[in-house]
Amino acid sequence: MTACSRRNFVSGMGALILTTGTSVKLSAQGEKPNETAPKRYAMVHDETSCIGCTACMDACRETNQVPEGVSRLEILRSEPHGEFPNQEYEFFRQSCQHCTNAPCVAVCPTGASFIDPETGIVDVNKDLCVGCQYCIAVCPYRVRFIHPVHKTADKCNFCRDTNLAAGKQPACVEACPTKALTFGDMNDPNSAVARKVRENPVYRTKLTLGTEPNLYHIPFAKGEHR
Amino acid sequence: MSTLTYPVPFHTPDLVWDSSIAIYLFLLGISSGAVQLAIAYRRSHKLEKPSENWIVRSAAVLGTIPTLIGLTLLIFHLARPWTFWKLMFNYQFNSVMSMGVMLFQVYMLFMVIWIAVLFKAEIDNLIKKFVPKLRFVTNIIGACERIFSAAEVILFILAAVLGAYTGFLLSALISYPMLNNPVLPALFLASGTSSGIAATFLCILIAGKLKGDSHEVHYIHKFEVPIMVTELGLIVCFFVGLYFGGGQKVVALQNALSGFWGAVFWIGVMLIGIMIPLIANLFASDKWKYNAKFIILVSIFDLIGVLCLRYFILYAGQLTIAM
Ligand code: SF4
Ligand code: SF4
Ligand code: SF4
Repeated sequence: MTACSRRNFVSGMGALILTTGTSVKLSAQGEKPNETAPKRYAMVHDETSCIGCTACMDACRETNQVPEGVSRLEILRSEPHGEFPNQEYEFFRQSCQHCTNAPCVAVCPTGASFIDPETGIVDVNKDLCVGCQYCIAVCPYRVRFIHPVHKTADKCNFCRDTNLAAGKQPACVEACPTKALTFGDMNDPNSAVARKVRENPVYRTKLTLGTEPNLYHIPFAKGEHR
Repeated sequence: MSTLTYPVPFHTPDLVWDSSIAIYLFLLGISSGAVQLAIAYRRSHKLEKPSENWIVRSAAVLGTIPTLIGLTLLIFHLARPWTFWKLMFNYQFNSVMSMGVMLFQVYMLFMVIWIAVLFKAEIDNLIKKFVPKLRFVTNIIGACERIFSAAEVILFILAAVLGAYTGFLLSALISYPMLNNPVLPALFLASGTSSGIAATFLCILIAGKLKGDSHEVHYIHKFEVPIMVTELGLIVCFFVGLYFGGGQKVVALQNALSGFWGAVFWIGVMLIGIMIPLIANLFASDKWKYNAKFIILVSIFDLIGVLCLRYFILYAGQLTIAM
């Protein structure tokens, strides 16, 4: 809990600095935000540019060797809006939200589910996981599953051990042809993801549960927003 | 996306925990109830030889065997059963399940002390007869005798905590509005106690062949009605809480009380598990009330009801997801 409040504090300070003149001066002088401050990785799915091609899903499967039958990332298609031939669909990204207050981490009896303190990424330590499925049951976003090969809990980890470790963006972000996905550090006010969130109408889901999700959506203009 | 249509009783889309968990919760309730009852009985009676009393004997069996079967079920419900030992070496103080693992170990320890002291003479005889080398065990039991009274009180508390734990395990699930309910631990404690009483009745009447109007039966009868009424009250609180909870809680309530699981609730839990035993206890004449066969029948109804309650809560609880 302390880590969360510190992270909140840091992000609060980031916003504060942003609204004062000093930060403008700082950035004008080319000074970078404190490198050692903890990151809070987040993602934005821009539903207005997503075309539902599912290239992100395929890239994830390949990069993270996700077996058939399960998936770390799904693009859900809505009922059509409008009449044929002018039908439009709304696409919704369903994947781990890397909750700042993650219930899956709180219930895990072995500590296998954890929040990486340096990045805020929620990940699973395969060696510790016994497969009790408590975390699968408690995740309100229904994104966890038992990996058919490892028999441990699995889900999106923002390619923490694959692309990110290699210094690249997550596979889905790299694969998206319309740049509908933006990934980065929310604690850095100059990051692309922080700017996206600041400059667009965004929404997050199930906020009332107190999970503090880090997956933002830019709403598709038509129909009721989730 | 899933194309299943409701209702599909045992295969709903968001179902994660299934039958083995329901049975596990049921077995723990029996263990908790039987042990609480036996300790209450032993402490309120001067027993010459507690090891010859059937309520105590029943608790020794019901306190251990169902727990061990339940734990075995739980272990084989893990996706990686053979890594279960990791649960015992990585305690997480914010995880209900991890605290439960710790609770089990302490409970079992005190259970063994309790049984060992009460059955000291029998254990001693067995050792003398078969493995004289284990003589030192008698000495250890002798040492335990000195802390017996305190250990018994602790065991009583642990048994009650175990009964409530089964509810906490589910109420921590914030994803299911029906389960994420503060009444659940109390409800499971009460229903677990009533199942423990019913199981004890079966033991003393069938295995112990006690008479229907024996002292033990009279004693246990005193608890049945109050506990069942408490259980009924808690069920009402549980549903009223959902009804006034608004949003998904109301949806959860509607989903739970309709279709297959609604039938399980009304027929299994309410009729078989509560109404019939309650009416039998309140209105049957003493001739029936102290008839062994009649008590056995009512106890079986009671156990069926509690098992249905576990199934109902677990499965109906997973029908509805928090928004
Ligand atoms: S979305 Fe689910 S799996 Fe991901 S951090 Fe939140 S609760 Fe855990
Ligand atoms: S399935 Fe694994 S990661 Fe999930 S709660 Fe159980 S031990 Fe933890
Ligand atoms: S790759 Fe991009 S456009 Fe295609 S489905 Fe994924 S998010 Fe949408």
